[in-house]
Amino acid sequence: MERVIVIGGGGAGTAAATITKRLNPALKVSVFTEFSDIAYSPCGIPFVHGREIPKFEDLFLSTVERYEEEGLDMRMETVVTDIDLDRRTITAKNQPEGFDQLVLCTGFVWEQPDVPGANLDGLHYVKDIRKSMEFDEQLDSMKRIVVVGAGPVGVEMAGGLARRGLHVDLVDEGPWVLHEILDPDVAKPVHDSLEARGVTLHLGTKTESFDGNADGHVAAVTTTDGVFECDAVVTGLHKIPNTKLAEAAGLKLGTTGAVVVDDHMRTSAPGVWAAGDVVEIPHGLNMIPITGLTGAHGYAQGRVAAVNITGGELAYDPVWVPWGMVGGDYTIGGFSMGENLAKTLGIPYVLAKGVGITKARYYPGAEKTYVKLLAEPDTLRLIGGVIHGGEGVKERCDFLAFAAKRGATLYDLAYMENIYSPPIGALFEPIQIAAQNALAAQRENKLAVVT
Amino acid sequence: MSSLSDAKRNLRERAEGALRREVLSELGRDQPGTVEPYRPKGDRFWRLLFVPLYRRIPWTAKERAMSALGMTAKGWQPPARKPGEPWRPPAGATRSASADPPEQPPAA
Repeated sequence: MERVIVIGGGGAGTAAATITKRLNPALKVSVFTEFSDIAYSPCGIPFVHGREIPKFEDLFLSTVERYEEEGLDMRMETVVTDIDLDRRTITAKNQPEGFDQLVLCTGFVWEQPDVPGANLDGLHYVKDIRKSMEFDEQLDSMKRIVVVGAGPVGVEMAGGLARRGLHVDLVDEGPWVLHEILDPDVAKPVHDSLEARGVTLHLGTKTESFDGNADGHVAAVTTTDGVFECDAVVTGLHKIPNTKLAEAAGLKLGTTGAVVVDDHMRTSAPGVWAAGDVVEIPHGLNMIPITGLTGAHGYAQGRVAAVNITGGELAYDPVWVPWGMVGGDYTIGGFSMGENLAKTLGIPYVLAKGVGITKARYYPGAEKTYVKLLAEPDTLRLIGGVIHGGEGVKERCDFLAFAAKRGATLYDLAYMENIYSPPIGALFEPIQIAAQNALAAQRENKLAVVT
Repeated sequence: MSSLSDAKRNLRERAEGALRREVLSELGRDQPGTVEPYRPKGDRFWRLLFVPLYRRIPWTAKERAMSALGMTAKGWQPPARKPGEPWRPPAGATRSASADPPEQPPAA
C-alpha cells in the first residue's frame, strides 16, 4: 500500500492528510505531530484569555478519534527527528518509517527575544492549547503582564488580558502598533481603543532584558522606557518557519528562510511536498516570497498538496494577502500592502481615499468606514490598501484582494455594483467613493505619484 | 543552508529593516499617536548609505535585480488574466442560441 506521511497537525497538515485520504482511500496516510491535540484554532486563544470566547474547548473543530474513524493513522505526541530522502524514511521514536510521498507541514516557532533572561520561566508563547489552558489558570492569580511585540498576536493578547482586568504593558520597537501591516494614519484609533481597555503602550521601546526572581521566574522587564514589574510575559514577535527538519534533509530554503515550493506545493525533492507556515509563497504583485500568512492560507495550501499528491492538478495562486483584525475594539484590515510597505520597497503609487458609511445614513448604528487604496500610477491597477472602521472591513478586504488578483483598476472600482439595503449597506459603497475621488483628482491633474 | 542562501537572507533582513525604519519615521511624522522607531546599533551605515542609494534606483530596475539575484519566486504560473484584461468566458463554454458568436479565447 502506498504511504503518505504528513509531518505536522496544524491547518495545513490536517488539510493535506484528510483530503489526501478522501481523494484516494487506498493510500495509507499517517500524521505525525509532537502535540497531544489536533484540529483546534489557535487564533481563538487570545479571545478565550480575554473571556470573549467562553472556553478553550470551543476552539476544537474535530478529534483524533474522528480522524482515526476516517482512516488516518494518527501519531500524536510523536516527534519526527530525521528525514532520509535517499531511503525514503522518517525517524520517529528512534524507529524508521517508510514513505512514498512526504508532506512537510511543520509550521512555525515563535521568535525568541534575543536578550538576557529569555529562558526564564513565565515567558508565554501563544501556540499550544494545553499550555494556554495552564497559563489561563495562572492568570487568575496574576495582576501585571508585559506583552512584548505589538504585532497581531501581541495586540490581541494585550487587549484581551486588559479586558480581563489585568494591568498590561505593551512594548514594541515600532513607532505604532502593528507597524508592519498598518499605516500610521490608522494608529490613533487603535491606540485609543487599546488604552480604553486599559493597555499601557510603550512604543519605540526596546526590550533589554527579562529579570528573574530567586525562583528563576520572570519578575520584571527592563526596557529603554523603564522597568516594568510583571507576573508573566507574553511574547508576540515574529513567526519563524520551523525548517529544522527540512534544512537537515537538504530541502531548498528561500530568502525568507522558509521552504521553497512551486505552485503545486512541490519542494526541491521529488515526492516531497510542503504547505503552511513552513513555506514561502510569492506575493502576487511582484513575486517576492513572503511568510507569515494565515490559517486559511495554510489550509488551502494543504488542499492543493493533497490534490496533486493523488494525481490531480491544482495550482495555488500567488497571494494578495487580505488581512483583518480587531485592535482593542476597533476593526482594521487591508490587502497586499499599505503605504508602509510600498514606500519601503520603493514601489511608486497613487492614493485613492474615501470615507463612507456601513449602513444607510438614516439607519441606526451606521458607522464610518475609511478606505485607502494604492494603485499603479500609469494603469491605476490596484497595488494594495488599508480599510478601517465599522462593519464590513473583512468582506471589503477579501473582495479587494480578489479584485487585485484579477487585475482590477480604480476605473473598475469606481463603477462597481453594490448592495443598497439600509440595515447593511449605504447607497454609495466606500470603495467606490475612494476610487471616484481618485479619478476626480486625476481629471484635475491632482493625483500625485508617491515614491 | 549554503552560505549564499544565508547571505541572501541576511541581506534581505537588514535591507528591509533599514528601509522600513526610515519609512516608519517619515510616514509617522505628524501623525497623532506615533513616535520615532527604535533604531538598533549599526543602523547608521544602512540609514546613511544604503537607504539613499536604494531610493535612487527606479522600481523597475529593482525588480529586475531581485529577479536576477534569485530573490523572486520561480516555478509559479503566471496570472490567468493579464492586468486590466477584460473577463472572457472559458474556451468551449456553451452559449444560448440567441447569443453572439463565441468570443475568441484570450491569447496564451
